Amino acid sequence: MTDHQWSELAAPYALGALAPDERERFEAHLAECAACRGEVRELREVTVLLADAAPAATPPAGLRDRILREARQTRPIRRSRAQIIPWLAAAASLVLALGLGYGYLRERAALRQSSAALAATTDSLAARDSIIATIFSPDVVTAALAATGKPPSARLFWNLSRRRVVMAVFQLPPASAGRTYQLWAIAQGKKPVSLGVFNTAADGRVTAAMEVPPGLTFELTAVTEEPAGGSPQPTQQPFLIGKVIPAD
Amino acid sequence: MLDDQQGQVRTPDRALVERMAGGDERALGALYDRHGEMAYCLALAVARERADAEEIVADAFGQVWRNAASYDPGRGSVAGWLATITRTRALDLVRARGRRARAMERAAQADGAGLASPMGAPAEPPDLRIERGEARRLVARSLGDLPEQQRRVIELAYFGGLSQSEIAVELQEPLGTVKTRMRAGMQKLRGSLAALLSGGGS
Repeated sequence: MTDHQWSELAAPYALGALAPDERERFEAHLAECAACRGEVRELREVTVLLADAAPAATPPAGLRDRILREARQTRPIRRSRAQIIPWLAAAASLVLALGLGYGYLRERAALRQSSAALAATTDSLAARDSIIATIFSPDVVTAALAATGKPPSARLFWNLSRRRVVMAVFQLPPASAGRTYQLWAIAQGKKPVSLGVFNTAADGRVTAAMEVPPGLTFELTAVTEEPAGGSPQPTQQPFLIGKVIPAD
Repeated sequence: MLDDQQGQVRTPDRALVERMAGGDERALGALYDRHGEMAYCLALAVARERADAEEIVADAFGQVWRNAASYDPGRGSVAGWLATITRTRALDLVRARGRRARAMERAAQADGAGLASPMGAPAEPPDLRIERGEARRLVARSLGDLPEQQRRVIELAYFGGLSQSEIAVELQEPLGTVKTRMRAGMQKLRGSLAALLSGGGS
C-alpha cells in the first residue's frame, strides 16, 4: 500500500468502520507512521463530537440513584505501585522462563477446556481512545512478546512521555474464573514491577492500556497468570516475555 | 464534546474524576448531572431501546468510576472518554443480543429525517449547559449540512456500528462509493467543527 492509500483509512478507522483484518493492518501501520497518527487523532475528535448529534431524550428519573448505588458496591481500582520484593532474576533467566512457560501453557490448555464457555467481559475494549492516544506518539517504543514462537503472542507499545503502555494480545484464551493475567515490567537486575492486570475476550484477544509508575524504566516485559485482582509479585513463571526495542 | 466547564465557578470535569479516583461518590453524582443526559441520548441512539440505554449508561458510569484513576487528560476530555465508553458498551450490547440486523433496519428507516435533525428542543433545563447546547447545535448543523449520502454513511458507522462493507450492503452501493463518501464527509465535518477541536482554537 502507498502512503496515500494508508491515509484513506484514517476516517473509517476513527469511526470504527474498518473490517477487523483491515483495522489490524492499519494499526500496525499507525505504530510506524506519525502522519497517519496525527490524522487519526484529529478525526477521533470529530467522531467523539458526533455523540452530541444523538436525538434528545430524557434519562429515567431513577438512573442517577442507581449509578450511585452501584458505585457504593465497587471501589475505584487503585494504582498498585512498584513492589520491591525479590523474585527470580527474570532478565537473566529468560531461557528458563520460556521453557517453563511452555510447560505451563500446556497445563493451562487442559484447564481452559473446562471453562471454554466463559465469555470475556466487554471491559476489554473499554479504553480504545486511551489506546489510540498512547500509541500515536513519536516517543513510543515497542516490545513483541512471545512464547517460544508459538501462540499466544502480544505486542506492547510504551509511550515514554505519557508513561503509558498499550498491550495488544493475540490467541490467548481468557483466564479462568478467579484468575487474571498480569503484565510485568522488568529492569535488568531488578525486581519485576506490575503494570496492571488484564483478561482476553472470548476470541483470545485484548487491547489494554496501563500506566507506568513514574521513573520506571525497563528492558523486559512479561505476562503471568495470577489470582483475580493481580499479585504484588509474580506467583508464576511468565508464559509471555519480550524485550523492549528502543525508538530509533 | 467541549470541556465547557473551564472558567466557570464549577469544578472542571477532570477534577471530578480525580475525586472519583479517591472514592468520592458525590463527584460521580456531579459528573452524571453534567453528562448523564449526553450518555443516555447516545446510548439510546445506538441501542434504540430505553431499557437498554439505561443499562448501558449505568455500566458506562460504573466503568468510569472504577477506572477513574487511569483517566489521562492528555487523551481528551472526560466527556469524550465517557462517550467512547458508552458507545462501545452500546454497540457491544446490540451485537450481543443479536439485534444488529434490527438496528440496521431502523437506522436505515431513519432515512429522510436522519439522526441529525430531531435536535430542536433539548429536554433539559434551559439555564443549564448552555455551552453544551451550543456545541450540540453546531454538531447537528454540521452534520445536517453534509450531503445526505455522506451523512448517512457516517451515521450508520457511528450510531449503527456498521463497517464500510456492511454499509455498502445496507445501502446497496459499491464499497468504493461508501469509502469515498465517508472520507469526504469526515473531512467536511473536521472543517465545520474546527472550533470545537483542540487544534482549532476556542
